[in-house]
Amino acid sequence: MMTERCAKTLITMLALPALLLPAACLLYILFKGIPALDWAMLSGSSQASAFGSITALWPQITGSLLLMLGACLLAAPVALGGTLFYALIANVTQRKALLGIMHLLVGIPPVVYGLCGLIVLVHMLHWGISLLTGMVILAVIILPMLLMNSVNAIERIPGGKTEAARALGLSNGQLIRRVWLPAAWPGLMTGLLLGMARALSETAPILFTATVFSGVAWPDSLFSPVTSLQTHIFYLAQEGANAGAVDIAWASAVILIILVTVLSFGASALRNIRMDG
Amino acid sequence: MLNLWMRTSALISLIVVVLMLGFLLQQSWPYWQHDGLSPLLSGDWYPYEHLFGLAAAIIGSFWAALIALAIAIPTGLAAAVMSTEILSGPWRSLMRSGMELLAGIPSVVYGLLGLWILLPFLQSNLHLLTGHNLLAAGLLLSIMVLPTIMVMTQDALCEVSIHQRDTAASLGMGWSTRLWRVLLPQAWPGIRSGILLALGRALGETMAVMLVVGSMDRIPDPWYNLLAPAQTLTSRIGREIGESAFGSMHFSALMACGLLLALITITISMLAHIRTDKVKT
Repeated sequence: MMTERCAKTLITMLALPALLLPAACLLYILFKGIPALDWAMLSGSSQASAFGSITALWPQITGSLLLMLGACLLAAPVALGGTLFYALIANVTQRKALLGIMHLLVGIPPVVYGLCGLIVLVHMLHWGISLLTGMVILAVIILPMLLMNSVNAIERIPGGKTEAARALGLSNGQLIRRVWLPAAWPGLMTGLLLGMARALSETAPILFTATVFSGVAWPDSLFSPVTSLQTHIFYLAQEGANAGAVDIAWASAVILIILVTVLSFGASALRNIRMDG
Repeated sequence: MLNLWMRTSALISLIVVVLMLGFLLQQSWPYWQHDGLSPLLSGDWYPYEHLFGLAAAIIGSFWAALIALAIAIPTGLAAAVMSTEILSGPWRSLMRSGMELLAGIPSVVYGLLGLWILLPFLQSNLHLLTGHNLLAAGLLLSIMVLPTIMVMTQDALCEVSIHQRDTAASLGMGWSTRLWRVLLPQAWPGIRSGILLALGRALGETMAVMLVVGSMDRIPDPWYNLLAPAQTLTSRIGREIGESAFGSMHFSALMACGLLLALITITISMLAHIRTDKVKT
């Protein structure tokens, strides 16, 4: 009895950082960021173009969202196609190979994707430092998690449903549209939302391939660079001499975390739908 | 039409892997051709003098990852045991949400936290000239990989069957004996892949490390000196890729860093998955 209590106490002590850190990190970021956000909002009206005012953060926000949306639009069809290949056509070897490739892609650090994008897209295809480059790189980064998520979602459909559909003579297309999509859409959407959150938080791969520090309000075309919240935080964080700049970095961090949290809350809400249904 | 789409999609992922590794190798080829494998052992990295030794960055990467794991493994395991074996319902899900929150914070925000909390703290408490060092990078990484270890361990512990728990209890094993003799050994394959994935993540993390590590190319001297500015593979890529011209030897050397990083992390993640797959069959 005594040893049990000792062991439990010891484990609780060891686990303490894991209990406290999430709250501590979040509170500190909010504590630093919200006053800056507030100040930025207040001063936004009087000096519309003030460095880092909320109006001045709009380009960064739209830049981040554009990169995210582009990445999802590019990655989602490929992920869905790959999933259907896995579920409908592939034999055991091909399934293992596909999953193996996905594990391999997940394992490669994002900065390496950035390097490859730099070689192939920026220099060889002459796209330059551009929105499109960033979208493609982010799309490749989120592809494996989208695909593995949707494979899980499809596999969770009870086999009986598929068999019944086959017995009624449904073709592949009808099976997908009438049976699989209605049953699996919450799972597929969960994956998509998590992918969006991931695309929003990746910084290293777009730092030298898609973004500039400032000067872009709205990109003229897919081939012009953008600004983004993530890289904005990175640049401003190092402006130690200018306290205002660091405040804006905290404010950007708060905005970024709010965006990411909304997406992951959406994902958990959808996950619960699936459990009920 | 449908078939074509499905097959193309599956092929795309294969093509991406081949293209990525192929282009990294092609771009770093001049570098390997110039010096062979000798730069792996040399710590001198002076781009203007055409000295491109990788040892300092490799050692830095591994030191940072080791510190991170040394802290995150005990904490993560304890947190997982606590949430599955000690706490009940609502507390458990609260802890899980906490971990998901930590995992959701973008790495650049961790960099910001590290730069403005951790560095001043280290600097004043350890009386250093600058807080930029491997210890700071390791500490920051430990927070970032903690969710991976904790969530994977939690899942592995939850999968230990109720029969084994009951049998262990009916044999009269105490709580701690059950934990050490039944639960942890049964869950070990899952825990091991969690640790390997965390190692891969720690080696490949860029933004946070880049902001706190100091980016000085020195092999720690003596080897356990973690309190001096250092360099990791990722921080070097992040810091210098912007100023190297496409096609130059400097660019080629940075691509070599990228290739090395990719090969190391691919090996680690393959190890993580091969082992778990074996157990499942």
